[in-house]
Amino acid sequence: MKQIQQSILESDLLEKYLMGTTSEEETLRAEKYIEMYPLVRKAYDELQDNLEFYAKSHAVPVPDGLKGKILTQIKKGNRAGNRFTRFAMAASFAILVSAGASYFFWSQNKSLQEENTLVNAKIDNLQEEMREQLEDVRNQFIVLQNPETKKYKVTGNTKAQELKAVAYVNPVKKLSYLNVSNLPNLPKNQCYQMWAEVNGEMLNLGIIKEADQKLLALPYSDNAVGYITIEPEGGNDSPTVENIVANIAY
Amino acid sequence: MSMLLEKHIVELLQERDEKAISLLYEHYGSTLLGVAHKVLRNEELAQDVLQESFVKIWKKSDTYDASKAKLFTWLFRITRNTAIDKLRSVKTKSDKEIQINVSDVYNLGVNSTRPEFMDVRDNLGKIESKYQIVLDALFFQGMTQQEASDELDIPLGTIKSRLKIGLRELKKIYGPVMLLIPALKLFHILSS
Repeated sequence: MKQIQQSILESDLLEKYLMGTTSEEETLRAEKYIEMYPLVRKAYDELQDNLEFYAKSHAVPVPDGLKGKILTQIKKGNRAGNRFTRFAMAASFAILVSAGASYFFWSQNKSLQEENTLVNAKIDNLQEEMREQLEDVRNQFIVLQNPETKKYKVTGNTKAQELKAVAYVNPVKKLSYLNVSNLPNLPKNQCYQMWAEVNGEMLNLGIIKEADQKLLALPYSDNAVGYITIEPEGGNDSPTVENIVANIAY
Repeated sequence: MSMLLEKHIVELLQERDEKAISLLYEHYGSTLLGVAHKVLRNEELAQDVLQESFVKIWKKSDTYDASKAKLFTWLFRITRNTAIDKLRSVKTKSDKEIQINVSDVYNLGVNSTRPEFMDVRDNLGKIESKYQIVLDALFFQGMTQQEASDELDIPLGTIKSRLKIGLRELKKIYGPVMLLIPALKLFHILSS
């Protein structure tokens, strides 16, 4: 142990530590040795005494007024420090409030933007729908008002004698519509379905739900034939010929 | 400084009582100014450094740990480092702007006529310069014993012996006075 202490004392570690020029690692080492080894502690204490003693022997008289300057500066620093603390607290509070408000407005803005996008999409859809409907109505109007348009009265056969419909066909504009005005009631498991035979091909035009006075557009072709059949509920892929209740040649 | 007075000042520092700075200045002001002066060799700059050092001492007072260093050692480190920083900063400026007196002769100003300092100055001359050089290198220039040995081209063993002899000589001259002054000051403080 004496040897270790001797090697510590012979090194420069204590002097460097005394002057405050040690690295972090050296500082820890020096403090550990001073605590562990009494001889090292004694040497360090002696070094401190010698330093104080030697420094005192080089004392230089302090000028008048310097003490006052130092004390004033310290007092000023304390006041500034207090002011700074108060300012820092106020600033921190302001930042907190501002951050909270920012988050609130940001989240509100985000939700409004989302809502706005949704509303815009709905408006676009409605516009498109309206445009389509307007186009439809315009076409219907053209067809119905056109002098070339021929009107055909359609009645049901024996299977549906009460069926009444009117077909409008315009060979010039190549447009045709069907207006079903009366449909006899059917059992719940059956429905009326509309078909059109165009250029030898049978097209499914969908189920006629009720006599709603709406014009049903028919695909136009020369010598096309429209059929109304009774089909099982939900409609059929191909018409059941024996269940034809009306045909419209247009 | 007496242990009792040192303890009293440390307590005041920890309580953030400005009276601590006043007491430190009274007891260590001239010594610390001497430290700054020794490093900078310029009266005006040394006074600036002393002022900056006391502000640092006040600000860092909660970092002082009596188990790791005596109060003076802590004050010395702060003052010496502040002085070295100042020296570096003025060295980077043009030599024409700031003239640093590189002479070893101190410009002590009007206060140097004060008798207690005259004694110190006179008696310092009584120590042989070969001891003073070693003590200066170790305490003020911050050299380690090995560095002093290399720098001064003196064997390490001689550095160690000159340090011991130099300090012994110094103590012979100032020992009784240095011990008496703080004792009288403490008596003055406690009785006031």
